[in-house]
Amino acid sequence: MHWILSLRANKGIGMAEKILEVKDLVVEFRTDRGTITAVNGVNFEVFKGQTLGIVGESGSGKSVTALSIMRLIPNPPGRVAGGEILYRGQNVLDIPLDEMRSIRGNKIAMIFQEPMTSLNPVFTVGNQIEEVLELHQKELSKQQRTEKAIEMLKLVGIPSPEKRVHEYPHQLSGGMRQRVMIAMSLACEPDILIADEPTTALDVTIQAQILELMKKLQTEMGMGIIMITHDLGVVAETCDDVAVMYCGQIVEQSDVKTLFGHPRHPYTKGLIESIPSFDSTTGGAKGRLPTIEGMVPSLFDLPSGCNFQNRCAHVTEKCRGPHGEPKLEPVSKGQMVRCFHPLS
Amino acid sequence: MATNEQESKSLWHHAWDSLMSDRTTVIAMSIVLIYSVVALLSSTGLIVSDWSKEVGPSYAPPSSEFLFGLDIFGRSVFAKTVKATEIAMSVGLVTGILTVLIGVTLGSIAGYYGGKVDEVLVWFYTTVSSIPGIMLLISIAFIVGKGLLAVYLSLGLTSWTGLFRLIRGEFIRHKDREYVQAATAIGGGDFRKIFKHILPNVFHIVIINFSLQFQFAIKSEVILSYLGLGVQGVPSWGTMINDAKLELARGNWWQLAAATAAMMVVVLAFNILGDSLRDALDPKLKGK
Amino acid sequence: MSLTSYVLRRLFYVIPVILGVCFLIFIIFSVVSPDPTISMLGKHATKAQVLELREALGLNKPLYIQYFDIVKSAFTFDFGRSWSTKQEIFEMIKQGAIPSMTITFPAFFLSVLLSVSISLFVAFYRGTFLDKGVVFVCVALMSISSLVYILVGQWFFAFKLGLFEISGYEEGFPDVVPYVLLPIIIIIILSVGPDVRFYRTVMLDEIYQDYVRTARSKGLSERKIMFKHVLKNAMVSIITYVVLRIPFLILGSLLIESFFGIPGLGGMTLKAVNSSDFPVIKAMAVLSGIATILFNVITDVLYVVVDPRVKLN
Repeated sequence: MHWILSLRANKGIGMAEKILEVKDLVVEFRTDRGTITAVNGVNFEVFKGQTLGIVGESGSGKSVTALSIMRLIPNPPGRVAGGEILYRGQNVLDIPLDEMRSIRGNKIAMIFQEPMTSLNPVFTVGNQIEEVLELHQKELSKQQRTEKAIEMLKLVGIPSPEKRVHEYPHQLSGGMRQRVMIAMSLACEPDILIADEPTTALDVTIQAQILELMKKLQTEMGMGIIMITHDLGVVAETCDDVAVMYCGQIVEQSDVKTLFGHPRHPYTKGLIESIPSFDSTTGGAKGRLPTIEGMVPSLFDLPSGCNFQNRCAHVTEKCRGPHGEPKLEPVSKGQMVRCFHPLS
Repeated sequence: MATNEQESKSLWHHAWDSLMSDRTTVIAMSIVLIYSVVALLSSTGLIVSDWSKEVGPSYAPPSSEFLFGLDIFGRSVFAKTVKATEIAMSVGLVTGILTVLIGVTLGSIAGYYGGKVDEVLVWFYTTVSSIPGIMLLISIAFIVGKGLLAVYLSLGLTSWTGLFRLIRGEFIRHKDREYVQAATAIGGGDFRKIFKHILPNVFHIVIINFSLQFQFAIKSEVILSYLGLGVQGVPSWGTMINDAKLELARGNWWQLAAATAAMMVVVLAFNILGDSLRDALDPKLKGK
Repeated sequence: MSLTSYVLRRLFYVIPVILGVCFLIFIIFSVVSPDPTISMLGKHATKAQVLELREALGLNKPLYIQYFDIVKSAFTFDFGRSWSTKQEIFEMIKQGAIPSMTITFPAFFLSVLLSVSISLFVAFYRGTFLDKGVVFVCVALMSISSLVYILVGQWFFAFKLGLFEISGYEEGFPDVVPYVLLPIIIIIILSVGPDVRFYRTVMLDEIYQDYVRTARSKGLSERKIMFKHVLKNAMVSIITYVVLRIPFLILGSLLIESFFGIPGLGGMTLKAVNSSDFPVIKAMAVLSGIATILFNVITDVLYVVVDPRVKLN
């Protein structure tokens, strides 16, 4: 898994510090209809100051991957069935739960999609930020915690933070609530911020503001970000490296420029082409918006061979099972694809 | 609205499947079924038609001959317990039906039409529900006197308030939903919308409520018996439990035990059924 | 709008309900009910005697005046005199309230403490056999008639085992204890079943909310999550549920007081039913109606105060 390091060397980027490495992660869920593998052998790395995007449709396994890093998969019915998650070299899947808790919110933090329901409605936003400080920075006094909370609110761009700190979540707008969530997650200056669809529930204009805020904070604080999203537009704006997931597997992995400039997996190409744009070259003004035919197969009923076969325009007999599943393999400098016939 | 009906059907199918897959629920349903059959058989005289016959000495304790012992008149407690199933099941059934009729009718009208109609109905509901149940029961039973009809009336006229509130709430939520607007757009009238469209989506509440009312009525019959407002002439678990007031002092516990056990089993079954129905039918419930 | 104006508005809307309650009681006792004088005088009463008694009892007053009397009593608490004991009903109520509350209030506090604790415990261990077992026990407890608890309690624990007094009442502490302990225990057992089930549902509703996931992602322990986050959110529903029970505490339990010979309001009501003592029954109906209405208002106000999400408009 040194493809990213070599990539950076090629592009002349300084050696960023690797803080997270996910190896062969497998996550299963038990249901009444059987066991499904929501995440099936996923590998990636996260570096300080860099953003890794994990893209996919709902059900692709991207959120489950994110939750596994923090060991937040509800058990039952889910469980991590294999692999390692190395935070600074230590496998967090092995450590005792209270050690995990000292990492959560402290070294690795997470923000979620729905800021309204993700914040506790009966506590003030200040209280909720102070809570994470109380947990992990016990040396601070109450007074200091409140001051820090106000500071964090200011950092995320909330006006009149001294007043807002006493307000309840429902008194804030959606965009502001998400800023509060960001403030809460960054209060202890974590190494990694996992953002699970942070802007999906927000207005388009607010989306842009939040993403900009996150980039700014990343430059100031230097944390690595894992950006989970289904929106390639978000990926283009914020990510340095991208992993595209489909049915629990990564089907393409590269840096963001290469992904958009030269996608190799038919799925990735399909996703990129289906982004509406005003540019007439993609047929926006005159033609129909291209879509990917077919539907995501149910995880209970995956075809033998390539998972994407029933939707792929380039499918051949090879893809339908005789050679098993395609493996994720490097196809050019710093780009990996899981396909028997990667696009040229 | 084909899609709507299709959805409802698969909801019921799905619910039936999940109900059937839980062992406890199946047992509960079987118990209810058994009790219903027993009540039916007993009412047509096919079984225990000789319950009032004196078969032994007064207050004979349980033995191999008299399974549950005998009561003060030498009658078989077992026979009486079985006979009393009629009263219990009929009280539950009638009360349940009355509650559903009144609660759903008033609730749907109030929720659907809103405005002044709703205000009046809500005032009526608040008034009735402001008097604690037992006081209302006493008061109404006062008027209608004793007997089975009195029990039906007093329970039926006082238990509808909970269902009214639920149905009204659901109608308020549903009447502005898109599928109702669509029905209006194709020219559907009020009646049609209430019965054909909204009610099926709200029906699961009725079923759950019915199951819980049933068991509540059976338990209330005991209280009514104590108040002297119960059934005459035929044994009921309520009267049997009440008789125990005098019997216990002499150490005659078996009539109390038989009636309590018989009642507990069916009431427990209805409670479990009500819970399972709620789990299976309530779309709001998340995974547990 | 401010809290005071909300309270005032709420209280204002109470009036039509009080009038309605009085109307319902009026219909039941003055319009639809059978003539009580028949049962009081016996079968051989002459017409003259019946008329005389009806006059004395105020049964001949025009209907609207009878209704108005009920309404007046709702606001002045002057319920007239009992037909059986000739006492002033208001005095009877004052006397009966204390024994009733001696039983209901301790039972109430203890059962709330017990039920909330059990449900917290059960919510923590949700899905396990412990959880299912407790729920089953609760439902089983609820499936037995209250009468059975009273009879068995009285017969077995008081009579046979002699742990408590079978019936009766003694004023003053600690003399009163052996008389009220068993009734209190029975009431607690009767409440635990439905209460635990309700609190458990409320707490489980909260546990599956998103903010609990957020709290976990911040590194909070499960215990902290239950006691700080879940409980506070559940409190809103729990408080409204609990407060609505308070009017019943004042009125006492009819059955328990009757069986245990407690001279409280419940027993008083039952005696009145048996002797067709209309004024007393009417008074208790009016009193319980008003108490319920008032506590509904208190609950609504509490709701506004306790839940920061509720806006007054």
